[in-house]
Amino acid sequence: MEKAHAKHQWRSNTLPALLTVGPVTLVLVLLVAIPLIYVVVMSFCSIDQYYNVQLQFTLDNYKRLVSANYMKIYAQSILIAFVTTLLCILIGYPFSYIIARTQSRRKKLLYMLVIIPFWTNSLIRIYGWRTFLGTNGWLNTVLQFLHLTKEPLDLLYKQGTTILGMVYCLIPFMILPLYTAIEKLDGSLLEASADLGAKPVVTFIKVILPLTSSGIFSGSIMVFIPCLGYFFVSDILGGGNSDVIGNLIERQFQSGNNWPLGAALSIILIVITLVLVKLYQRMGGDMDSLGV
Amino acid sequence: MKKKIMSMALAAVLAGSMLSGCGSSSDSASAGELNIFVWTEYVSQDAIDAFEKDTGIKVNVSTYSSNEDMISKVKSESEGTYDIIQPSDYAIEQLAGQGMLEELDKEKLTNLNNIGESYLDPSYDPGNVYSVPYQGGVAAIAVNTAKVDQEITGYADLFDPSLKGQLVVLDDYRAVIGMTERSMGLSMNETDPDTLSGVEEKLLTLKDNIALYDSDSPKSALISGDCSVGYVWSAEAALAMEENEDIQIVYPTEGAYVFMDNWAIPKGAKHYDAAMEFINYMLSVDAAKMNIEEFPYLSANSKAVEAMGEEYSSNEAKNPPAEVISAGEYVSNLDTDTLAIYDEMWTKLKE
Amino acid sequence: MSRNSKRKAKKARNGIFCGLVYLFLFLPISVIVVNSTNATTSKPYLSWKGFTLDWYVKLFDNTQLLQSFGNTMIIAVVSTLLATIIGTIGAVGIYRYHFRGKGIINGLLYIPVVIPEIVLGISLLTIFSKVNIPRGMLTLILAHVTFSVPFVIFNVRARLSGYDKSIEEASMDLGANRLTTFMRITLPVLAPGIAGGALLAFTLSIDDVIISYFVNGQTKTYPLKVMESIKSGVAPDVNALSTLILIATILLVVLTQSGIFSKNKEHS
Repeated sequence: MEKAHAKHQWRSNTLPALLTVGPVTLVLVLLVAIPLIYVVVMSFCSIDQYYNVQLQFTLDNYKRLVSANYMKIYAQSILIAFVTTLLCILIGYPFSYIIARTQSRRKKLLYMLVIIPFWTNSLIRIYGWRTFLGTNGWLNTVLQFLHLTKEPLDLLYKQGTTILGMVYCLIPFMILPLYTAIEKLDGSLLEASADLGAKPVVTFIKVILPLTSSGIFSGSIMVFIPCLGYFFVSDILGGGNSDVIGNLIERQFQSGNNWPLGAALSIILIVITLVLVKLYQRMGGDMDSLGV
Repeated sequence: MKKKIMSMALAAVLAGSMLSGCGSSSDSASAGELNIFVWTEYVSQDAIDAFEKDTGIKVNVSTYSSNEDMISKVKSESEGTYDIIQPSDYAIEQLAGQGMLEELDKEKLTNLNNIGESYLDPSYDPGNVYSVPYQGGVAAIAVNTAKVDQEITGYADLFDPSLKGQLVVLDDYRAVIGMTERSMGLSMNETDPDTLSGVEEKLLTLKDNIALYDSDSPKSALISGDCSVGYVWSAEAALAMEENEDIQIVYPTEGAYVFMDNWAIPKGAKHYDAAMEFINYMLSVDAAKMNIEEFPYLSANSKAVEAMGEEYSSNEAKNPPAEVISAGEYVSNLDTDTLAIYDEMWTKLKE
Repeated sequence: MSRNSKRKAKKARNGIFCGLVYLFLFLPISVIVVNSTNATTSKPYLSWKGFTLDWYVKLFDNTQLLQSFGNTMIIAVVSTLLATIIGTIGAVGIYRYHFRGKGIINGLLYIPVVIPEIVLGISLLTIFSKVNIPRGMLTLILAHVTFSVPFVIFNVRARLSGYDKSIEEASMDLGANRLTTFMRITLPVLAPGIAGGALLAFTLSIDDVIISYFVNGQTKTYPLKVMESIKSGVAPDVNALSTLILIATILLVVLTQSGIFSKNKEHS
């Protein structure tokens, strides 16, 4: 009797399972797994004199990519990403804290005000920064009008400008998880800590920080990793001078015409990503809180 | 909540499709279509519109910033995606060598006699089998004399350390490396690896001077004042000069990077006949005039140059003098290994 | 007394800090809005030539721009719809059924979320190129579905944990088949998660730059058209369109806010 029941369960379970999980599996296998495998394969391929991909095994691509120049660019990318993430935390954390814990009736409005700018096209907003920071841009025009500066400030097309652009684009990915984490804070814990005689700084370090660390970690991952690939920010604001790994990859698929080299660069980027994710998990990060 | 989202989404779609519907109502029902792939800031939209009006053929425009970009896209897209491309001299050689160009049926090009004799039958395409010339020019220097004190006469002056962070250069590795080679008295098509490492050394000294890489509209940086000196296409210099009197063009004493762009049809183009019609139209004096006016380069269309009058032909920036062209050098194709060296140099420069 | 003034000072400090952050966030927006009223007509549209609203009218003559916006809308709606359906049933299926390879599927789901978009973009480009699928609307929609599905699944999954299955069993005991149970019992519970995921998918799709850049072929999407304009100089009509979209989204948000309040009142 039980056996028959179990059999019935199994039979009546496969079809629904297939129907529900089938489409997702198809998407993941055909559009994620297989393309990535193909990229790995391509990274070991060579190109002929006409830049057509040859199915000929070679380690040349990787050999090129561990040379000193490329290492320098990886280091620069990681530095830019690191600074960007740091700035996002330093600006984003206090901001999220104030907004998430405000008693104001306008709390929801304040939250929406963070999101609304990001419903405008990101490219045109980055271009807006270019107009603002240019030699004859808004900032310089105002500063010179107020006689605060004599010569226009040379702010554009520097590494710092790229970082500004990255922070601007990615800060919502820090603010949103932080907001979620901070909202969950139980106010009574903070009161208890104060009652037990802890100064605000101590309460912060020993109570608030640990409880909101998940927000900091998931925010950091969602800022750091994209930063390595955001080539359009360094193109528009950095002037093409502060390349990140994304720029290298983009160039090989565009003018460089060297897809295998681009594929190898992508694999290196994936490896860096995996290392960071492992770090994240090791520090107690929750994979499920990403992207929600 | 779900219903609200659904109705929001619906409203957004309606709004979006209404907007786009408004726009494309002038869509002619297939008198045919044409997909052209041209340089940014190179072909007048007015000329394209006039062609569309005349023939009823709808023209889809995509743009690219360098020959390498174009070749890369043409190769990676499926055959026949583009009907028209505008390769430069060496790119024609490269593409023809790989059998990627259609032969042009010259009988259909009734306007071909508008093109000056000297531009026909070029070394990169003997007999104009695959291409007809369009416009060309020089990669020259533009200087904002109000902001720069020193005298700039050649490519070598661009390396002056006092120009730190002042330069806008083309985002084109052959152009920038070629310029470095010219400044050293070498050919832009140098292949010897030892010589090239010397070139690399010189090239890297330029790094601090470069604020911006821009092949599409380098005049913007000059006009906005963000850069005071530029290594730019000649027409970009000409247009910058029109916006700001202080900006002047300098043709380098070492002999400049000179180029000629051409119309060509990629192999497997789906609308060959429409493409030939388009090329023929672009060879006409009216179309050529529209192109020269908006993008003042050296035109291969001698009849159009005559029609443009003194104002254009005497303007040194718009119509580079013959001596500059003959003193200049054209880029030519190099083998893959050499190009890999150039590529490495470029990566080092840009990091 | 000093405690009160201390609190006030703190509040003021907080207010100023948040104000500065909001200023930072909205600065480029104001540049866009102001530039949309620039009367300049010559490339590269950098100098201020006076105030005008003409560009809001000229905008509708720019067929290419409008068409790119239309493309973006179509791609966003279609891909969001597909991703939401695939994601929702997928989330339910993964949650409920056990099957071999479940771990792999779960792992694969994280890839589009965590990996830099450029890697997704080029991997799709290479596979489309190999299999000879011409790049255009189809590939754009496929690409957008790919990066949207995991977001939908994560959002729906969040609603599933803590979901009491016994309601479903009760429903089936009462004679409803699986499909009816799904539609009338499960779905309403998951609704907020589905809506959240769908909204996220839609938002990601309309602003997608990097992935679309590689798989678009000749089809112009709105972000890619903006990218093109940035190369030659952004004409005020692009700014005008962005301003209009901004106003539209603000209106939408305002509407939903008031909508939510009334809905909540009904429920409670």
